[in-house]
Amino acid sequence: MKKVLWVFIVLLGFFTLFVIYPLSSDAKPIKVGIIDCYSGPAAVFGKDALNGFKLALEDINKKGVLGKKIEFTTRDTKFKVDIALNMAKELVMREDVDILVGTINSGAALAVSDAVAKKEKVPFMVWISKSERITGEKGHRYVFSTGENTAMAGKAGGVALSKKPYVKYWIGGDDYSYGHDIANAAWRNLKALKPDVKMIGKSWWKPGEPDLAPYITSILGAKPDAVIFCTGGKSMTNVMKAIKATGMAEKVPVWVHTGTDHAVLKPLGAEGPEGVMGTMDYHFYYPETAANMAFVEAFQDAYGGPPGFPAFHGYITAHFIAEAYKKAGSVDTEKFINALEGLKIESPAGKLEMRACDHQVTLPMYLGVTKMSAKYGCVISTDIITLTGDEVLPTCGEIRKARGK
Amino acid sequence: MDIGQVFTFSALGSQFLVGLSRAMILFIVSAGMSFVLGVLRVPNIAHGSLYMIGAFSAFSLANLFGGGSGGFWLALIAAPFVVAIVALVAERSLFCHLYEREHLMLLLFTFALMLILGDLVKMFWGADYRSIMAPDALQGFVSILGSPFPRYNLFLLIVGPLVGIGLWFFSNKTKIGKIARAAAVDREMVGAIGINVSWVFAFAFVLGCFLAGLGGALVSPMVSVSIGMDHDIIMEAFLIVTIGGLGNMWGALVGSLIFGLTQSYGVLFWPQFAIVFPYIAVVIVLTWRPRGMLKSVW
Repeated sequence: MKKVLWVFIVLLGFFTLFVIYPLSSDAKPIKVGIIDCYSGPAAVFGKDALNGFKLALEDINKKGVLGKKIEFTTRDTKFKVDIALNMAKELVMREDVDILVGTINSGAALAVSDAVAKKEKVPFMVWISKSERITGEKGHRYVFSTGENTAMAGKAGGVALSKKPYVKYWIGGDDYSYGHDIANAAWRNLKALKPDVKMIGKSWWKPGEPDLAPYITSILGAKPDAVIFCTGGKSMTNVMKAIKATGMAEKVPVWVHTGTDHAVLKPLGAEGPEGVMGTMDYHFYYPETAANMAFVEAFQDAYGGPPGFPAFHGYITAHFIAEAYKKAGSVDTEKFINALEGLKIESPAGKLEMRACDHQVTLPMYLGVTKMSAKYGCVISTDIITLTGDEVLPTCGEIRKARGK
Repeated sequence: MDIGQVFTFSALGSQFLVGLSRAMILFIVSAGMSFVLGVLRVPNIAHGSLYMIGAFSAFSLANLFGGGSGGFWLALIAAPFVVAIVALVAERSLFCHLYEREHLMLLLFTFALMLILGDLVKMFWGADYRSIMAPDALQGFVSILGSPFPRYNLFLLIVGPLVGIGLWFFSNKTKIGKIARAAAVDREMVGAIGINVSWVFAFAFVLGCFLAGLGGALVSPMVSVSIGMDHDIIMEAFLIVTIGGLGNMWGALVGSLIFGLTQSYGVLFWPQFAIVFPYIAVVIVLTWRPRGMLKSVW
């Protein structure tokens, strides 16, 4: 008799679970799994992006999306591709996340996009990796980019430089994929727009090379009309310091993508070189629109400093996710993706669209020249010209060609 | 590319000078490492971390002393001492128990220390990029042979030889220097004649680390002071010490010159592949003289 009672109790228990589980899953939050670098030199960017994302979520969760909250959990990739892959798999398998978001490392983003997002059919929003392959030749249904990429940066540089009278160019940069990608994209676009330009030489140094003086003196010796520098991360500071120390910008026009990034220029203070041309996908001080000012103020209140470009990308990523779920009216992955394709949102940088053809956000680029600002105590981007997303993005036709379709 | 334009006297001269100034930083850091390796027989991988702490301390001290030129000079002097204190604590609490262990153990131990120090630096200073301004007198550039040459690099060309002379004076003219050199050759014998070897070792270790800190403080106005500096320098310092002759301070000088100059001329002759030149030089040196350019103490 006792045995029968036990069996009955256990069965009843299971039964209740089956009844309750579907009910509770209705209130189950939307789970976002974030893989990014939170240790080592690149942690600055990962943290900033996360702050932007959190700020947006606070707002979004006040009202909720489809009656649910959006929750997130983070994993540190330590800037390593294999760790990123493991973390992404773990988030999908164990944590059962609805969406993956990340990362600063393009190699990691490409690996996760291919081995996790595509295979497991989980949407992956890439927010600050800059490889053009993510939404270009390696793009697919489950990967999206809310960040700028090397193709856009290169095209912005190409378009900007083609309007100048320079003919003889020298290209220098970090000897890794980001540096080469920017260089190739800039040169391809410049050459297409202005066929008479000539490349008289190239210098490649290892990323983070501490002493760039030998490179700069040798470049100046070759007397180019203009120089294109393709650097990222801490090489940015080094290259800006070397430009200042050698007085390079006074002798030769220099264009550096992200050379007008506040995160690079702020620590330099009065040491930042004036007269360097730079392109950037976000400035907290430009455009001076109400939307941007409101975002900057909220961010400043929450984290005690102005948002950098990663914070901006984190912020719009959260809004794209929320808006897409609202539009889809369901947590179904396929419906979410359909809704995200072609979705337009209002952002601090104006109206943005998630292009349906390649899943790339149409971000504007800001071309400016560095100049000392008394207000910020460092050089900032001035005389800014806005290149619209359509101007700097590869066309859908080019994307289809790159994907071999 | 127009070859004639590249190989002008002015280009060759200015590349020589910038290469030399880079070699000076490398010399200061690797001389310290070589000294520790020679006297203590410790391949200190955490040497790069101490270099990084030197740079971060210089940043903090420069701000503490009110920034500007005065702040920089005081920081340049004080930062190596901060590193020396860190080194003294590490030596007395950890290293002094480990000298008798085999090299592989020491290698693993110092590697662990590098990771720990790297994380401590991140906890203490954060992951942001930082920058120190060179004093007014050393900002900008001077024209040498028609090429712009940063004034700060000129300053390095003066400091490097001064440190070299100081080291020579210390190891040849002072008693403790002579004892340290003797301990490098035969530590049992030095102990047997009644010298407290333990403190000689502590002193040698601290001096070596002081040089790492000095190197870090000196390089800080040229680069972004950031996490990861330790990895950048340690590889180069190890190669320099190896090609120069393990534990030989003058070997470190020769190695640094080879490294700095092959790099700067590599940039001039074949800029796309400039990175590999110093490493090719390392391969050539080690094939030709497997024990390094100068006499190794090992």
